[in-house]
Amino acid sequence: MSVVDYQLGRTPGPPTRERVEVDPITLRVLGGGFHAIAKEMAGVLFRMSYSSIIRESEDLGAGIFDAQGRELCESDSTPMHIGSLPWYIRGFLDRLEGEIEEGDVIFHNHPYLGASHTPDIAIAVPIFWEGELLGFAAVTAHVLDVGGSFPGINADAFDVYAESKIYNAMRWYRAGELNEDLDKMIFDNVRTETMNRGDCNAMMAACQLGRDRFLRLIKRYGVETVMSSAYDWMDYSENMLRREIAKIPDGEYTAPTAWLDDDARTRGRRLRVETKVVVEGDSITIDVSGSEAEVPTGFNVPFEGSLLVGAYYAVRTLLLDEVTFPEHVPQNDGVFRPVKVIAPKGTIFNPNFPRACFSRFCQVQRVVDNTIIALADQLPQQVTASNSAAIHFCSYSGFVPDTGEYWLYLEVNEGSYGGRYGKDGMDCVDNLMANTRNNPIEELDLRFPMRCDQYELRPEPAAPGKWRGGVGVIRRNRFMVDGTYSCEGDRQWDPPQGIFGGWTGLPASVHKNPGTPSEEYLEAKVTGIPFKAGEYVEFREPNAGGYGDPLEREPRMVREDVLDDFTTIELARDAYGVIFVDERDLEIDEEATRKRREELRASRDGASLSLNDRFRREKGQLLPSSSPASVAANKAFGLT
Amino acid sequence: MKRLGVDVGGTFTDLIYVDDEAGKVLIHKLPSTPDDPSRGTIEGIKQLAEQAGTTPSELDQVFHGTTIATNIVIEHNGAKVGMLTTEGYRDILHIARHKKPLNFSNYQDLPWQRYPLVRRRYRLPVPERVTGEGEVIVPLDEERAREQIRKLKEAGVEAVAVCFLFSFINDAHEKRVAEILREEFPEAFLSVSSEVLPQYREYERFSTVALNAFVGPKVATYVRRLEDELRALNVRTGVHLMTSASGVATAQGAIDRPVNLLMSGPVAGVVGGIWVGAQAGYDSVITLDVGGTSADIGLAQNGTLRMKHLLDTHVGPYNAMIPMVDVDTIGAGGGSIAYVDGGGIFRSGPRSAGAQPGPAAYDRGGTEPTATDAMVNLGWLLPEDFLGGAMSLRADLARKAFEGVAGQLGMSVEEASMGAIQIASSSMVQSIEEASVRKGYDPRDFALVAEGGAGPLFAAAIAAEVGTPTVIVPPYPGVTAAMGLLATDAVYEYVATTYQRVSELNAQALQSRFEELEAQALAQLQDDGVPSDRCVIQRVADCRYLGQGYELRVDCPSGAIDEAWVAKVSADFHDAHEREYSRRFEESDIEIPNIRVRGIGMMPPLQTPAIEQGDVSPEQGLRHEREAFFRIDGELRQVPTRYYAREALKAGNRVQGPAVINQFDSTTVVPPGFTAEIDRFGNIVITIDALAASQVVGAAEQAAGA
Repeated sequence: MSVVDYQLGRTPGPPTRERVEVDPITLRVLGGGFHAIAKEMAGVLFRMSYSSIIRESEDLGAGIFDAQGRELCESDSTPMHIGSLPWYIRGFLDRLEGEIEEGDVIFHNHPYLGASHTPDIAIAVPIFWEGELLGFAAVTAHVLDVGGSFPGINADAFDVYAESKIYNAMRWYRAGELNEDLDKMIFDNVRTETMNRGDCNAMMAACQLGRDRFLRLIKRYGVETVMSSAYDWMDYSENMLRREIAKIPDGEYTAPTAWLDDDARTRGRRLRVETKVVVEGDSITIDVSGSEAEVPTGFNVPFEGSLLVGAYYAVRTLLLDEVTFPEHVPQNDGVFRPVKVIAPKGTIFNPNFPRACFSRFCQVQRVVDNTIIALADQLPQQVTASNSAAIHFCSYSGFVPDTGEYWLYLEVNEGSYGGRYGKDGMDCVDNLMANTRNNPIEELDLRFPMRCDQYELRPEPAAPGKWRGGVGVIRRNRFMVDGTYSCEGDRQWDPPQGIFGGWTGLPASVHKNPGTPSEEYLEAKVTGIPFKAGEYVEFREPNAGGYGDPLEREPRMVREDVLDDFTTIELARDAYGVIFVDERDLEIDEEATRKRREELRASRDGASLSLNDRFRREKGQLLPSSSPASVAANKAFGLT
Repeated sequence: MKRLGVDVGGTFTDLIYVDDEAGKVLIHKLPSTPDDPSRGTIEGIKQLAEQAGTTPSELDQVFHGTTIATNIVIEHNGAKVGMLTTEGYRDILHIARHKKPLNFSNYQDLPWQRYPLVRRRYRLPVPERVTGEGEVIVPLDEERAREQIRKLKEAGVEAVAVCFLFSFINDAHEKRVAEILREEFPEAFLSVSSEVLPQYREYERFSTVALNAFVGPKVATYVRRLEDELRALNVRTGVHLMTSASGVATAQGAIDRPVNLLMSGPVAGVVGGIWVGAQAGYDSVITLDVGGTSADIGLAQNGTLRMKHLLDTHVGPYNAMIPMVDVDTIGAGGGSIAYVDGGGIFRSGPRSAGAQPGPAAYDRGGTEPTATDAMVNLGWLLPEDFLGGAMSLRADLARKAFEGVAGQLGMSVEEASMGAIQIASSSMVQSIEEASVRKGYDPRDFALVAEGGAGPLFAAAIAAEVGTPTVIVPPYPGVTAAMGLLATDAVYEYVATTYQRVSELNAQALQSRFEELEAQALAQLQDDGVPSDRCVIQRVADCRYLGQGYELRVDCPSGAIDEAWVAKVSADFHDAHEREYSRRFEESDIEIPNIRVRGIGMMPPLQTPAIEQGDVSPEQGLRHEREAFFRIDGELRQVPTRYYAREALKAGNRVQGPAVINQFDSTTVVPPGFTAEIDRFGNIVITIDALAASQVVGAAEQAAGA
């Protein structure tokens, strides 16, 4: 494999195709047309696919790219996929440049050649027009299993060979002909053949549809007009982003060190994440130098397909927020251009081949979160307090002798957003770069030997602030048959910080069989833990940080929070300084509140306060949470 | 047949009467009565029947479209809703699908959290749990249910949603709680998930059921009252309502499942727009129906209604898993209130003055500045000749209403008025682009049909900006949605859940389910008095490959379910799958989760008479010549403007802008540089001249940049 010589992060530079002038209406029509193609490709993929991680969670990306991988458009699916496909394409071109033929279907997942990580397989179909390779229709999607050491998730793999089968620029179809031996090789070596086949077929269909739709645009508007419009739109997006970057004063802005739980093997050894944001004119650099050295597990980050994507996301979202920024700026190659990333070779953010790098999401999320915090003083009305910035991505599986295959369920457990200027943080939602959909409980229980016992806001209150932090989820899932559980997660030790006087929130926690004699705390990253039929796992996801001094929150809003169980009467008194006349009607005692607030202001020594001091898991301070379904099932399975 | 269509909007109630045999078409319009919309409806029916020289008891069909449910959602003024839900799953409505509407925004709101249909304090858990196999693992705690119901009653909720997991498989717990509710709290509107939407995916079901509760009390009161009063007028067939899928609901159906009416009015507008376009010779139309409160945007290529995919069926920001025509509603209309927000930004809508008190110029007590007032200030609407003289306006009140915002912005009243109109227009432009260019439709292939009282006021400038080459203003723009009601067949749809597999089909069971549904459909059509030669019964199967999560609809043959039947349905599904997704998997088994029967009552085609032919000159219709304000080359200028009476215009007349065409139910603005021509059915066809368009677009961009 040509990995050692491969030059990471090399972009093709400005497009060289000669451009024609495009009238403004056609330009707008084609801009909309590109977006519609990507959206339609994604729609085909999730409606036609078999596994719930694609079908329900929409863990996928789809788009059209030029022959050098410049992105024309990408679907609004989940941001972790958006912007990775250009690198997959450049990665497979390293081997296939000049050899691609009409009718090829390319299969690629090499994490040192552009892939986001090995289970996110890319399938690409070339688009030819009058003999010229114009570009690619391509999709990425998370497939259930890629034949690593354990079913589904491999946070603790020895190297890339152990985490997955590696597909480096494979032609699944060659000039329209199925490569039969390769086909067998691919699907014989995964645990979930039927699902993978169905999903890969859907991915190919989505690409073919994207190609056909794009060719239709070309037939109608002409190849020069279409390609020129594509490049004009890239310039537009680039200019819009550069204008916003230029508004930030030049300088270096550093986030406080963030700590990741561990590398999935050496427990208790926290991993350092450093983030410096450098603004120079209309360019911005995210520099993660000083972060932890690469680890001997799967907890490293592919530089191109994951870290770069995270940096693009962080900058675009902060500066061209789709709600607060008035213009709609399409997502394409243009928004990548002003962003540079520095990650020294040999760190977890730029590991050396053949280090495993299966589990990279939580690290990238922390870089995004750090980027936001680093710019807090410059952009106080655009940032959030610290977010959950982690996920618990889990695999539940077991072998089914009748079919000779595994059942395998992948789940993304959501987080919460930090408080924001003028707004509370969002509760129980996929955070930052995660934007999957949850798998319906009724889908889970009907299709898998699993049962969800509980799914609601966790019982601990929100982190106080002038604008409170979001509340994370509590979820309990039970195995109905013997099986295996693996997870890549994080943030069970370092809680999300508050900003501008807001309180720090709560970290996540995972327990096996909580409330039973066999209760056990689980670290966030575990691999291949056996579960017996009837055993279950409980997640509590982080409550994100608060924004601003809680003493400035309107007492009326604090009362609403108490009514809706987002905070407690005790915290109303201790954090917000709000006193009620009585506990039933919750009438605000204005005078007592004024006095209490004065008192609290006077007694504070400027130290920032933390919800985690009151609800510390290690001290058994998490609140109990009632779930009759759990109680009944514990009894039925004799867990009590 | 003698048929009557009545469309109730937030501001006006529009009616159309058709006597198919006599070839007679009459229209009528009166202000809506939002405190009790049935009053306006009944009054309108009586008045129109009288005009037609008949009585309500002679009517063969009363077909009704209403935006009542939609407006409740848009204005978020529905019932105070409580929810009883399975303990341990209290926040399904709060978490939704844990996905953000937008990828690239830290400052977005999750509407279901920021503006919940049921506040968290009123979502009360009850111990119970049924599994996916329908087995009860936690028995219903009836005492707790009773306590929670009492709490909700004490808190003053008006409607209660009952949402338990897996109730579509085993509805016993929901049924029992509904019984307890009827005992303890009979006055509450009940919305039970296993009755409203027995389909899987808990969030989508709960959201639909909560929406049903949110709109339920107001809609039920309205429909009941309407039904009672129609009965008092001896209307034989009762009232029928258009559903979101352009089908029909009976009054009882509408009361039980008001959620099916959420897009009733807007859908009728699209159907009417297709009919108008076809008559004027344009098959592909974008419909822009602007009323007092909201604007509805629809798109039909080659005359075909587009349905939304069941995963994309939202009303406002809320998920409603019901079949629905693809039409978008936004909060912009003639009554939209202009204001300067806390941050100094000039905004228009979504708050509306509605019909009561209405725009300031109506002199009904409204003092806030609306888009209609803005048009009075600019001289587009003449106070003494509004709605063909049916209503007079107070120009001084319109001006006074705008003095406040104009002062805040440091502008003249005219400039502030023009700004308010442009802001309202730009939100309509965005919505049209969403429906067309963003979905890959080229607006240059479409004609824009301007509907509603206010559509023709905005349409020409919007067409210029969007790029549609033609605007059609039908003879009665205000009643286009009402016409849509009479331009369509009566379609009832019945569904049953089957979960059958083609490989192991129980043909007998399937056959008897189909027959049950067919009997229901036929009985309904007979009940409606549709003659048997005009009844059509169709079978549909929802099919998917085993293992997939989403279905495609496949039309099925009638008759015995034998091998040939199965082969035909399978082949048609493979074809449908290939058409939709460009692939087929003939080796896969096919699952049929639901079957459907459509009962169609064929209606006579709607025809309207041609109008008198004239020559090019519209002189005979000229009524006034005044100065009015328009933006020309980016500047607000006062220019001589001609005002015509629509009813005096003849086929072939050409009207040169700037001009205003007044009529009883609407007002059409032809901006400077545009030309309008009257066609033989009386449609105003405005051609968007490229040069004139560039002036308007340039002006809009300049205004946006300012």
